[in-house]
Amino acid sequence: MRNWRYLVYALAVIVFTTLPFYTGVYLLNVAGYILIFMTLTLTWDMLLRSGQISFGVYGFFGVGAYTAVITFLDASIHPLFSILLGGIFAGFLALVIGLFVLQLRALYFAIVTLALGGIFMVVARNIPELTGGPEGRVLPSTIFDGDPTKTYWLILAVAVLTVIISILFEKSRVHFAVTSIRDDEIVARSSGINVFKYLVFLFAVTSAIQGLAGGVYGHIYGFASPEGSFSLTCTLLPMAMALLGGIYTTLGPVLGAILLGSISELLKLLMPYGHLLVYGIIIIVVILFFPRGIVGTLGKRFEKKR
Amino acid sequence: MFIVKDINIFYGKLHILWDLSLHIGDESVGLFGPNGAGKTTLINAILGLVKPTSGEITFDGETMLPLETHERVRRRIAVVPQERELFPLMSVLENLRSGAAYIPEAREKTGERLDFGFEIFPVLKERLRQLAGTLSGGEQRMLAIARALMADPKLLILDEPSCGLGPSLVSDLFHRLNEIKKGHSLLIAEQNVRQCLKTIDRGYVIENGRIIMEDHAESLAGNDHIRRSYLGL
Repeated sequence: MRNWRYLVYALAVIVFTTLPFYTGVYLLNVAGYILIFMTLTLTWDMLLRSGQISFGVYGFFGVGAYTAVITFLDASIHPLFSILLGGIFAGFLALVIGLFVLQLRALYFAIVTLALGGIFMVVARNIPELTGGPEGRVLPSTIFDGDPTKTYWLILAVAVLTVIISILFEKSRVHFAVTSIRDDEIVARSSGINVFKYLVFLFAVTSAIQGLAGGVYGHIYGFASPEGSFSLTCTLLPMAMALLGGIYTTLGPVLGAILLGSISELLKLLMPYGHLLVYGIIIIVVILFFPRGIVGTLGKRFEKKR
Repeated sequence: MFIVKDINIFYGKLHILWDLSLHIGDESVGLFGPNGAGKTTLINAILGLVKPTSGEITFDGETMLPLETHERVRRRIAVVPQERELFPLMSVLENLRSGAAYIPEAREKTGERLDFGFEIFPVLKERLRQLAGTLSGGEQRMLAIARALMADPKLLILDEPSCGLGPSLVSDLFHRLNEIKKGHSLLIAEQNVRQCLKTIDRGYVIENGRIIMEDHAESLAGNDHIRRSYLGL
């Protein structure tokens, strides 16, 4: 079972790193889109591993986008650095908010994070001096002057960074802590785990990466606007991708993002008006018949064989 | 020296523990009482999972009450809870490691503590890679105790260690506790008084949230109330 995981990783690395050398702009754009959502999916799953369901991905994604765009326009910071600032600010915001809301658990936490994204959006809409109000802010040109290959490398770098962090978490003490918090918080505390500290840490790290992804997105598409940057798609699609691939793992979200991302793009081409319907059916079928996702289901089968 | 002094605990309006006091030095101490007497509540209070409304808990002179559960555990109080003590989907080795991973002093001694655990429970060494959930009930209990020992505790608290085990396993378990008590202070909450009396130095009897008796193991074994109510003689 361990071997097939590494095989998939190796295959994914080869495909994604060689992509710019043999595909056109279109496929590169699709791959970039998939990688951005892979990043969001992984970060959502990383927090989920502690038992906390966040609906706030879109909020921190948007905060990152706005921060990157605004710091670039108003402080004329280098675009890459402004993206980094987007991540840092989103992480800092999550840290401060986490100190308050991570007393809450499960459903209550989920609802608060959902509301957070909404609050961020309202704030962004209502300080026009900074955020451009309802119209948002538009960049004079996109990052790297729209060079698709360079843009792709940037997205890939963020996605790879996220995968590495996720694997590091899986291989370290964080993994035990997070798993035991999910299984039983009282046992976790009785093992000497500072539950609150771990949750705040996780929330801040995952939100920072979401902010980073948002910053990248803002610079690629060259704008930040309330509806465009704070889109619930950034919360819902990662959930669907993680469920399809298999939650609580690194490989699951990676696979889920690749599969669902490709499928949705394919469907868009095949049936421009009906693709969402088929898309929805796929998600329902997966949840009904493969509740553990692809990795969970396959993993179980391999374990049985051994 | 671990000291609980005059603690009172309420669940809502229910008065659970009444002016309860006990102390544990370099010894093993038993805590006996029927179901619902307050044994587990006392352990939860020691861990900080419930807050007493009055009273004091100190460990080597340091007050425990303001400390969070994980901070108390880092003062090297380890607990083997009555149930849900293991991570069933992790291997035996991972379970053991997790016992020391979050306690800085213990982490440095992981290898040493593993050897100690295997010395007392050799069967665990054969099962290292096996998932904890696939162990037998007795083995799981051993793993839970070994896991708590990984923290190199000054005080090891066991909540009903014999619960759910067959008679031969129970006597086997208490033999091993005899080994463990040489290097650790123990607090054992137990319903199997007969076995437990052979291991402990001193015991408390708790009924309806009050300590009604405290004595050395031999005297408790000879006490009429104990013989009638707990030993069935």
